[in-house]
Amino acid sequence: MNLENEKIDIKNEIEILREDCLRPTRTFSRNTQIWIGSLLVIIGWGLYCYIHQLRQGLGVTAMRNYVSWGLYISTFVFFIGISHSGTLVSAILRITKQEWRRPITRSAELLTFVSLCFGGIQPIIDLGRPDRIFNLVLFGRLQSPLIWDIISICTYFCGSTVFLFLPMIPDMALCRDKLVVCDTRYKKFKKWLYTFMAIGWKGTKSQWHRLEKTMTIMTIIIIPVAVSVHTVVSYIFAMTLRPGWDSTVFGPYFVVGALYSGSACVILGMAAFRKLYHLEKYITPRHFDLIGRVVLALTLIYAYMNLNEYWIPAYKMATAEGHLLNDLFSGSYSTAFWTCQFGTVLLPILIMSFPKGRKITPLVITCIIIAAGAWVKRYLIVVPTLLHPFMPIQEVPGTWSTYFPNYVEFSVTAACLAGIFLVITLFSKLFPMMAVWEVEEGIQIEHDKQAVIELREQREVAEAKQMKEPKAKLITPITNTNN
Amino acid sequence: MKPKSTLDCRYFLKRLTLLITIIGLFSVIVAAQDQSQSQGKTEATITMSYFKNADMRRTAVALVKAKVNGKFAPVKNVKVNFYLENDKTQKLLEFVKTDNKGHATILLQNDLPLDDSLYFTIIAKIEADPLYEDAQEQIHYTDANIILSLNPHDTTRLVTAKVTELGKDGKELPVNGAEVKFYVQRLFGIMPASEDYAVSTDEKGEASFTFPKIIPGDTAGSYTVVARMEDNAQFGNVETKAPTSWGTVLAVEKDPFPRALWEPYAPLPLVMTISILFGGVWFVYFYLFFQIWKIKKDPIETAKS
Repeated sequence: MNLENEKIDIKNEIEILREDCLRPTRTFSRNTQIWIGSLLVIIGWGLYCYIHQLRQGLGVTAMRNYVSWGLYISTFVFFIGISHSGTLVSAILRITKQEWRRPITRSAELLTFVSLCFGGIQPIIDLGRPDRIFNLVLFGRLQSPLIWDIISICTYFCGSTVFLFLPMIPDMALCRDKLVVCDTRYKKFKKWLYTFMAIGWKGTKSQWHRLEKTMTIMTIIIIPVAVSVHTVVSYIFAMTLRPGWDSTVFGPYFVVGALYSGSACVILGMAAFRKLYHLEKYITPRHFDLIGRVVLALTLIYAYMNLNEYWIPAYKMATAEGHLLNDLFSGSYSTAFWTCQFGTVLLPILIMSFPKGRKITPLVITCIIIAAGAWVKRYLIVVPTLLHPFMPIQEVPGTWSTYFPNYVEFSVTAACLAGIFLVITLFSKLFPMMAVWEVEEGIQIEHDKQAVIELREQREVAEAKQMKEPKAKLITPITNTNN
Repeated sequence: MKPKSTLDCRYFLKRLTLLITIIGLFSVIVAAQDQSQSQGKTEATITMSYFKNADMRRTAVALVKAKVNGKFAPVKNVKVNFYLENDKTQKLLEFVKTDNKGHATILLQNDLPLDDSLYFTIIAKIEADPLYEDAQEQIHYTDANIILSLNPHDTTRLVTAKVTELGKDGKELPVNGAEVKFYVQRLFGIMPASEDYAVSTDEKGEASFTFPKIIPGDTAGSYTVVARMEDNAQFGNVETKAPTSWGTVLAVEKDPFPRALWEPYAPLPLVMTISILFGGVWFVYFYLFFQIWKIKKDPIETAKS
């Protein structure tokens, strides 16, 4: 009787979960429409600016001969960094069998996919003649880090797409089956989409077996691919002989920096979806506390890497490196540099070290600071070095020896950011933002654990009773005999 | 009696007013001049040159310059009419627009009509141009030839250039005292053969020059000798060329930059590392695609079985 009640409980709980996850895909509120409209306006303006840049050339940006990698390449490094979130939260937590990962993996994987889409186009935006990107494919030289970058980013993008898609297959089947009974907008389109993406999923034993096998392989393979991507991104800088970039720790430094900023962005995504789609029941303060600990650990490693990256050359102060470091420590970039070091690295460590700092609101604020700081940090890696070449800048117009992005670059970058938000919004309006079957599995496991605990407790009680009863029987006859 | 300071002040004000009036008037005059200039046409000049190339092609080039910001600079898209003058009559040959460097070039026919002294006259004109004032320039040259005689296998590397002009009887006559310059043809231009590369012709019309032994040739040791008369008052620019094998043999380095980014081939270990790493990953991807395809096919196969 108890077991049957339990089954009913689980069934009800799963039904509620499914309803909670599918509800956002059935509504399209006025606020969502306004939000999407605003994003489209920003994207439209950014596109206009980009067309202006294409027609007039890169001269319309603030980039000149010396600073040819400005805001666009800084954004590229930042977006590629964020893309590590999916690998960290989804793959690493999956491989270490962390049960609390279940409600947050989808948003992390989505963030990876979208940030790769928009990060990958940044170098193309940075080109005066984007059509020449095909020359890299046609005439690319394998000894160039740029080619390694293209190969590894394409490989990671492909892997991330599969990694996002695989856990979606059972959910797509759920959407397909549930859609029939629910009244929704764009029913035909959605039915086609879900049917197509469900790839004939029926939930048979062999399908489950294959899916689990495929996901396990993908989980293992995506981690080294992700690490290679950001290592290779760092090679674009570190393989050149330039002050600030000529560093042997750039690979791990970039990877840790990427994980640190990526996991902070996952927290922001978690908080947003929790609030907007009323997922408080599934994404709990415990999740924030646990992932807050992960971000804390990563921030500590990042702080250690930062120390190595700046302390060692600062101790030596070699001529060219010295000019750059002076500019960073006490020159025109000092405010941004020290704000990054204290405000976005040391301050978050202080906040997140305390349990109260890992509560939802302070953690979200900290993560906003971390994300913004990581973006500025990428800018500080790219731009000041370009302004401090080994051959001093001379006999050029004064504006060439300084750089600050102008409205064209800000507009195009804002459009890319808006593009990320738009894709995430549309995705959340079409697909469940939690891996429903994974959370269901979690509920089942939780119940099983509970059942085992209860069973164990019952057994212990029974054993205790049994232990007591024979003693009583033994004692009783003696007393009786005595009586 | 007014105080001295007040007088000084008035005096100063008067002078200042006068100065302002003069500056104002000057500005008005300059502005008016500018306006009249902008309304009128810009002054233009033409400089002409004549070239007879080694392939016997003859060209006349007009360089058009106009006054831009007080300086003469080449101007493009200016229509230049080329005329041939003969017996005091001018015949329009062709009109050509100037290129980005201000050059307008026409190809001249080989049998140009000559005057009594065997000279031809080409006139270049800017006529009724909406932007530029009319201008004209002419060239007046007679035809000459340079014939090179050399032995490609001569170890002394001696070249003799014979300059001749057309006589009235139709025979080639030697030209005495014409300066011939000797060059070596390189990929993007010509290089003087030595420091003293200009030689004047003698009564036979001959100028001899010994080429240095250290001039690099191609992989077979060949290079091209160039002999030129430049800006000659009688003949303009006349050029001729001849191939020789007097150069030092160029040994092409097979691997000049073994570790450079522009080195033609990537090192094998690098190719192998990248191929193995990414090939391995893509192999796994294709295996996964196959598994996804199997997931799709599974229910159909189960139903069949």
